[in-house]
Amino acid sequence: MKAFSRLHPLPLFTYFIIMLLFSMFLRNPVIVALSLLGGGAFAATLTDKREKLSDLKFYIPLSLLITVTNPLYSHNGRTPLFFVNGNAFTLEAIEYGVFIAAMIIAVLLWSKSYSKIVTSDKFLYLFGRAAPKTALILSVALRYVPILKRQAEKTRAAQKTLGLYSTGSIADNVVSGAKVYSSLVGWSIENAVETGRHMRSRGWGRGKRTCFSVFRFRASDGVFLGFTLLAAVLLGLSASRGLLAFSFYPTPTPLPVTALPVAAYICFGALAFLPFLIETEENIRWNCLRSKI
Amino acid sequence: MELLTVKDLSFTYPKTDAPALENISFSLKQGGFYLLCGYTGCGKTTLLRLLKPELAPFGALSGSIRYAPEFGDPPAPHEIGMVTQDPNEQIVTDKVWHELAFGLENMGLEQETIRVRTGETASYFGLAEKFGASTEALSGGEKQLLSLAAAVITAPKLLLLDEPTSQLDPITAMNFLDTLKRVNRDFGITVFLAEHRLEEVFSLADTVLAMDNGRLIACDTPSKVCEQLKDSRLFMGFPSAARLWKALDAPAPCPVNVREGKALLQNSVKSKTGDGSLSQPAKVDGSLPPPALSAKGLWFRYTKDGPDVLKDLSLTLRHGEIFSILGANGVGKTTLLQTLSGVRRPYHGKVRLFDKNITDYKRGALYRNGLSLLPQDPKTVFIKDTVRQDLVEILRAGGMKKEEAAEKAAAAADTYGVAPLLDRNPLDLSGGERQKCAIVKLLLTEPRVILLDEPTKGLDAYSKFRLAALLRQLAGEGRAVLCVTHDIEFAALISDACALLFDGVLLAAGEPHAFFTGNTFYTTAAARMASGLVPGAIFVDEIAAAVRT
Repeated sequence: MKAFSRLHPLPLFTYFIIMLLFSMFLRNPVIVALSLLGGGAFAATLTDKREKLSDLKFYIPLSLLITVTNPLYSHNGRTPLFFVNGNAFTLEAIEYGVFIAAMIIAVLLWSKSYSKIVTSDKFLYLFGRAAPKTALILSVALRYVPILKRQAEKTRAAQKTLGLYSTGSIADNVVSGAKVYSSLVGWSIENAVETGRHMRSRGWGRGKRTCFSVFRFRASDGVFLGFTLLAAVLLGLSASRGLLAFSFYPTPTPLPVTALPVAAYICFGALAFLPFLIETEENIRWNCLRSKI
Repeated sequence: MELLTVKDLSFTYPKTDAPALENISFSLKQGGFYLLCGYTGCGKTTLLRLLKPELAPFGALSGSIRYAPEFGDPPAPHEIGMVTQDPNEQIVTDKVWHELAFGLENMGLEQETIRVRTGETASYFGLAEKFGASTEALSGGEKQLLSLAAAVITAPKLLLLDEPTSQLDPITAMNFLDTLKRVNRDFGITVFLAEHRLEEVFSLADTVLAMDNGRLIACDTPSKVCEQLKDSRLFMGFPSAARLWKALDAPAPCPVNVREGKALLQNSVKSKTGDGSLSQPAKVDGSLPPPALSAKGLWFRYTKDGPDVLKDLSLTLRHGEIFSILGANGVGKTTLLQTLSGVRRPYHGKVRLFDKNITDYKRGALYRNGLSLLPQDPKTVFIKDTVRQDLVEILRAGGMKKEEAAEKAAAAADTYGVAPLLDRNPLDLSGGERQKCAIVKLLLTEPRVILLDEPTKGLDAYSKFRLAALLRQLAGEGRAVLCVTHDIEFAALISDACALLFDGVLLAAGEPHAFFTGNTFYTTAAARMASGLVPGAIFVDEIAAAVRT
């Protein structure tokens, strides 16, 4: 989670959007498989052992569920395996279910990596220029989330040790939750008014202001962004010419294996595995450095 | 060069008759370090805010505030920096770097200029490692340092600080004040600091301004101010050295720190013939009262793989006893209280209240006529719009009828002297008033064991003495009080026994005199002055009595 997240927010954001869009809308099994593998490999570099385990516990049942439910609703396809209540349970429907499951998991994995890498400050930096005031207000508001959460926690504990709503029954929990919440409304309004005054006292709202950021656009950011956009254009062209078209019903179409689609697959594969490769390259380099020491 | 001149300033808040400030006149010189002292509610905050146009309160103002021409007209926001006591309301953004850049952005500076200035400022204030961190991840002391850095970064001519250390523990507070002194010395920024915790700041200031009831009653060098005010009610909050000087009736100049106080004491002891040792208070013999709350072998950690916060900790608290636990920040004092009060569960060990394990009290019975915890932030005790509603609610929750509860609440408020505050909003009260109302609310559950978490945080000397008297009264009623605090002087004043929490266990538990004279660092300022000269003394009065005999 070091090398890749050091890139500038603009190429990062572009990359994730392209990966998410292509995984969702290029309905091609090879593309989805590459996206799933690349996304999984990258997500694995971002998570620790425990998180990986809990992720697997979530993704595996989810994919099984999707795979099984699709043939229950969809009875298309030419190869019935067996009949349930007079409806065919077809091989093609199962295959399509697997495909949908892979696609959803790939999208989930990329979204997870996105939320870990494109943090709120990077997002604000990107969209702050279009609406600097909104961006600042968002930054102020984001700070309030942890503050409010902590204040609520403290208030609840205080009420409990005073013997209010401390029986542990559901009714008590609901009542105490509601009361704590209503008391926090007053507290946060008070705080917000004071914060507003402090913002003005530090020169907010006095004419033109600039928008500082800690991010720099380096040459490597340009290379990465260029590669991402180039790959996106190539894939977009291939898709618009129908080179990547694929359908499961009534029977799966044969996978196109001519030069152009294969080039598109290679292109997408490179794109999907790029973050993982960048991370791995850095890890290997570190290990080499360490072994020299 | 005069930076700021205030002349005949009076100020009255809307809808009040009494003026908050009356005929205040003084001037601030370029590069000075000014200390404004006075009790809560004396008008310190009003005065400071009037000096900062964007924060000035509404009301009727007469007299004049004149700024030097370099401030601009009206004074530009970046020329006057302000730091207040609550870090949560003055930090604006969610990242440390953004907070530092905020003032510069508002000045419309270039990207590159801001990059350099934020970088160097972060290094100067020791915040470099936290540059990319979110502001909420900072500790209280770091937040105040960040606020100071964000105020200094625009290179102001004047820094106003309103009790910036009142929410900090003594060591963090000293660190903050040292940094402030450094800013004053290194950059020549004029500092105007309002404080009521005076033990350390007196010797930092060049000039002390003292306020009482909206009037400026003294304005001179620290030692002269002590001499002028030695009969004022403000004096009990002044440094121990000054109080010792008064108790010994020594000639001017008045000492304002431990070093000067010690020199004074040395002379006084030498000039007397006695051996100077303190007559030990007679030991009261007799059987000890039974334990009210006891803990045996407590082990606690927050996460499975985390470090142990409590390690085989045991303690006994007896009926009618006040027990204080001292310790630095993050040592687990609050955790200990939460474990004792059943908010958190130890993974080993037992807590017994009277003769039952606290886990055997079912459905909240532990907190009925049992134990009560006063949390660090008394704001969290109140969840209604007025104090009265809060008091009535807790009685009603105990199963009392509406009329009876209203009567009892009023009676309790009378007993503890908070009746005039009953119809105020808890958030509008001053720190001391809120603290007191919180204690009254807690007492309505008729606790026999009272746990207090940093009860003196943000209180001035006067409120502290009142709180000490209240706690003594409660102990006299047979209730047991356990108090965790940073406030060494307060612990020495109220306790029957003290202990130091360190590395998960209680060290050196004992009677305050034995405890504080055994410590070198963790002891009162009076004991530091007395060490080697008047053995065994931990209060100014004791030193004075010993010297006089």
